[in-house]
Amino acid sequence: MTEVVIRTDGLVKDYGDVRALAGLDLAVHRGEIFGFLGPNGAGKSTTIRVLLDLLRPTAGRAEVLGVAPRDGGAELRARIGYLPGELAMTGRKTSGELLAHMARLRGGQGGDRIATLAGRFGLDLDRPIRGLSKGNKQKVGVVQAFMHDPELLILDEPSSGLDPLLQREFLDLVTEARDRGATVFMSSHVLSEVQEIASRVAIIRSGEIVDVNDVRTLRNRAGQIVEMRFAERVTSERFTSLPNVEDVTVESWSENGTDGASLSCLLHGEPDALLKAAADYRVVHWSAQDRELEDLFLDFYRVPAAELVTEEVADGGR
Amino acid sequence: MAADTLPVLSGVLRDQRRSLAMWGLALAAVSAMYIGFYPAMGETSDIDAFVRNMPEGLVEAMGYDEMATPAGYLRSTVYGLLAPALLLVFAIGAGARLIAGQEEDGTLELELTSPVARTRLVFGRILALWVDVVILVAVVALATLALVTALDMELGADKILAAATGLLLLVLGFGTIALAVGAATGRRAYGLAVAAGLAVVAFMFDAIGPAIGVDWMTTVSPFSWYIEPNPLAEGVDPGGFALLAAVPVVAAVLGLLTFDRRDLMV
Repeated sequence: MTEVVIRTDGLVKDYGDVRALAGLDLAVHRGEIFGFLGPNGAGKSTTIRVLLDLLRPTAGRAEVLGVAPRDGGAELRARIGYLPGELAMTGRKTSGELLAHMARLRGGQGGDRIATLAGRFGLDLDRPIRGLSKGNKQKVGVVQAFMHDPELLILDEPSSGLDPLLQREFLDLVTEARDRGATVFMSSHVLSEVQEIASRVAIIRSGEIVDVNDVRTLRNRAGQIVEMRFAERVTSERFTSLPNVEDVTVESWSENGTDGASLSCLLHGEPDALLKAAADYRVVHWSAQDRELEDLFLDFYRVPAAELVTEEVADGGR
Repeated sequence: MAADTLPVLSGVLRDQRRSLAMWGLALAAVSAMYIGFYPAMGETSDIDAFVRNMPEGLVEAMGYDEMATPAGYLRSTVYGLLAPALLLVFAIGAGARLIAGQEEDGTLELELTSPVARTRLVFGRILALWVDVVILVAVVALATLALVTALDMELGADKILAAATGLLLLVLGFGTIALAVGAATGRRAYGLAVAAGLAVVAFMFDAIGPAIGVDWMTTVSPFSWYIEPNPLAEGVDPGGFALLAAVPVVAAVLGLLTFDRRDLMV
C-alpha cells in the first residue's frame, strides 16, 4: 500500500557555487497525487530534472520506482510520463508528426492514443508546431506525457497556458490516471492548481522541504482572519501575546466624539484566549473568515530579500 | 545499430530534409559552374601570364602550377577550396546545432526524457550528421563526374572517387568535432568556435607550410592529409586518409562519453 515511488534522501544539487537543493527529503507513495509546491526558483524544476536523470545529484540520493535515475536509465524513463514546465518546440513539423516521433521513441507505445487525447483537448494535429500558441503547445505536452499510460506522471507546472475549461479536462485526465493506479507528482507555484486533486502536498523553499502534509491538515492550519471593532481604545500588547494569535494590527479611530479601535489578527486553532481577551472591552462588530490555502502558502514564502536573490540565481539553471 | 537509435536518426533527418536539399542544390550548382569554366581556361593565356608573375612558393601552394590539367584545375577550385569551405560551413553548423544548439533552445528535452539512452541520442545524431555529409559529398562527386564526362576532360572516375572520399573524411572530422565539443560543453558557440578555428588553422598550415618551408605544418594539418598529394592526380594516399578517418571516430567517442557524464541544462 505505501510503496514509495519517488524517494529523495538529503538530495543536494549545486550549480557551481549556487546551492539549488539543500538536502531535500521526499517520499511519494504509489497511487497518490502529490503536489510539489514552491515559488519560482525554489528548486522544483531542479528536483524534477534529477528524477529524470538530466541532472546528477551533488550529494544525497534519489530513487524513482526503486532505482536511482541514472541506473534506471532508458528503461526507467519508459515507465514515466513527463510534462515539461516550458515546452520548447520549433520547426515546420506538425504536432501530429512530433507526437508520432515521440511514440516511435517509445517503441510505438501510445501511438494509438494520440488521436483520442488530441480530440479531447481540441488539439489540431495538422498544424505546424512553430505557429502554436502557448496553450496549444501545452496540449502537445499533455498528450505526449499521458499517451503511453505511464506508471508515474511527473508534471511540471502542468496547467499553465490552458484555459479554465481545459484545466478541468486536464484535472479529469490526472484523476483518471490515478484511478488506474498511476502515481502523479505535480509541481506548481500556485496552490489552487493542485489543492483540488492532490492528496498530499510538499512545500519547498530555497531547496528544502519546509512542510509535507495532507491537504486537509494544511487547510486547517491556514486558520482564520479575525476582525473586531471596539467602542473604546485597545492596546495591541493585550493581544499579541495570546496563544494561537498572530499578525495583530490595531487601528485607533475617532467618530462623532467616540474613541474606538479596529483589530485584525490571524487565528490558528482554538479562539478561546482571543475571545476572553476581547471580552474585557466593548465589542461592536466581529467577523472570522477562513483563509485560502493560498495565504498559507504565502506564509512559507516569507523570506528575507537577500535569500530571494540567491534563489533567482539558482533558477538560472533552467 | 540498436532499435532506438533509428527513430532518433530518422527524426533528425526528417527535420533537416529541406535545408539538406537546399545545400545539395547549391553545392551542385557551384561545382558545375566552376568545372564548366575549365574549357574556357584552356583557351586563354591570361591565366598563364597571371601565374608566371606570382611568387613560385605561392603558385605551388595554391596548386596554380597544375592549373592547365583537369586534376590541377579541380584541386585549385572545387576540391581544394569551394567544396571544403561550403561543406565545412554546413557540417560545423549542423554539428554544433544537433546537440548543443538543441540543448540551449530546449528542444532536446523531450527526447532526453524519453526512453532513449543518452548515448543513443548522441549516436543517432552523429549518424544523421554523417549521412548528411555523405549525401552532400556525393552530390559534389556526381556533379564532377557528370561535367567531366560531358566536357570530355581527362580525369578518371577512380580519381574523382578518391578525392571525394578524402573530402568526405575531412568534413566528417570537423563536423563531428563541432558536435562533440557541443555535446561535451552544452554550448553551441564552443562547438562552432573550436571546429571552425581548427579548420582555418588546418587550411592555413597547408597553404603556408610549403611556401615557407616548414614541414611540420603539413604533417599535422588534416587539410594536407586530404589534398597532399593531390588525390585527383595521385589517387588515394592511404596514410593521410587513415589519419583523416581517425578524426571523426575519435571525436564521436569523446562526444558520447562526455555527454553521458554531465548535467544537461535543457
